[in-house]
Amino acid sequence: MAHSDRFEELAALQALGLPSPQEAAELSRHLAEGCSICEELIADYRSAAATLSVEAPPRTPSPELRGKILASLPGTPSLAFRREPSRPVPRAISRRESERGAGWWVAAAAAILAAVLIWDDARIRRQREDLRSRAGQLSAELSSARAEAARRDLRVRVLESDDVKVLYLGGKDPQPSARAKVFWSEKAKTGMILAGNLAALPPDKQYELWVFSEGKPVAAGVFDADPSGRALFESTHLPGLVAAQNFAVTIEPRGGVPQPTGPIVLVGTQS
Amino acid sequence: MDFGDGGDICASEDSRLGEPTSTGDAAESDRALVARVEARDAEALGILYDRHSARLLGLAQRIVGDTGEAEEVLQEVFLHVWRAAATYDPARGPVLAWLLVATRSRSIDRVRSRRPAGAGISRSLEGAPEAASREDIEKDAATREWEERCRAAIAELPADQRRALELAYFEGLTQQEIAEATASPLGTVKTRVRLGLMKLRERVATYRKGEGHGA
Repeated sequence: MAHSDRFEELAALQALGLPSPQEAAELSRHLAEGCSICEELIADYRSAAATLSVEAPPRTPSPELRGKILASLPGTPSLAFRREPSRPVPRAISRRESERGAGWWVAAAAAILAAVLIWDDARIRRQREDLRSRAGQLSAELSSARAEAARRDLRVRVLESDDVKVLYLGGKDPQPSARAKVFWSEKAKTGMILAGNLAALPPDKQYELWVFSEGKPVAAGVFDADPSGRALFESTHLPGLVAAQNFAVTIEPRGGVPQPTGPIVLVGTQS
Repeated sequence: MDFGDGGDICASEDSRLGEPTSTGDAAESDRALVARVEARDAEALGILYDRHSARLLGLAQRIVGDTGEAEEVLQEVFLHVWRAAATYDPARGPVLAWLLVATRSRSIDRVRSRRPAGAGISRSLEGAPEAASREDIEKDAATREWEERCRAAIAELPADQRRALELAYFEGLTQQEIAEATASPLGTVKTRVRLGLMKLRERVATYRKGEGHGA
């Protein structure tokens, strides 16, 4: 599904871990289609939310934590720089004390061994979880890359099609500086609009593309402009494409309407 | 406060937030340190720890409440940095933001895993480690400046948007729980969260203009 304001709202919720399971699934499907805008939005929103952390006063970690963390790093041979607290030197003990303490030492060694094994097991489990998480992330990135590649293929198919047509759309009041180009191919049954200088719309509004076929406007889908005023909307099933005579873009209620009701911001004439 | 007054967030983090350390690498940016960590340089991780552990622990403490658990979170975060330094993307924001995101995420996971669904959070701050010493804070003037800028951005948020963000960020409440806590419709909560984040993001984006500082 094409990028829309709806997904931008879900991206904000996702950045704070707020989406309901249904919303999370919806966003996940959208991201799997390769929406780089939403991926960037989520990352940006997460960074933006991090500014809230200044409301939490800094706390001093316990002195031993630094050494504990550094000592737990896998594959670090050099410990020279670590700030380990100095340990007291054991005092000399008598033979009797030694014999009496032997049982204790064995028990202590067993306890330490058990603790180490438990800690190591927990560490391995954490590593496994991290690897699983990384594998999931890579899988999502692969899906995203494949989806983006498919979208690029689609665009190339349209642009390289021998029946590709291009129509320039000019801005009208209330957005006279808006510009757009529509590319479409009847053979590929695909069209796309590349627009710029579009104004930001209120949250309850979207741009809607219309195909004029036999003199009548046919709704062809809704889209949003990015913060820089650009928009790329494409569809593999534009209605009325075969008989397309003209295209226009209007401002309509979010989700679109079957017949245009709002102001025309872009319109063109087929050359 | 104007975030575009020559102090982009990356410059803050890389060339000013980077606190001089005892190792003599005063000019080394966080970004350069992450690159060293990626090359398995544990000393670089230690420097990052020295620079940011107090802030990260403060965040974890605020979310999870328990001192020991907050330190466990901190340990997990730095192990994550060690294992996943290669995943840090400077285009997504400064290293400190990356660390804060990782800390918050792990802290919220712990909070959510230990409470029944739909229950609010009750925490005790007893036994919390003392706040970083005044000297610790004052010796890092660049960090303090960054904090002031962030506070200014937060202060500009309308109260209802700020409250919704705080309940989500620090308390880990769900949308529904925020709606109940603020006696607001669910749709209003979604809108407040989005608008609040958009405003903070706008400040961050302004901050980040001119990115390219640091290594």
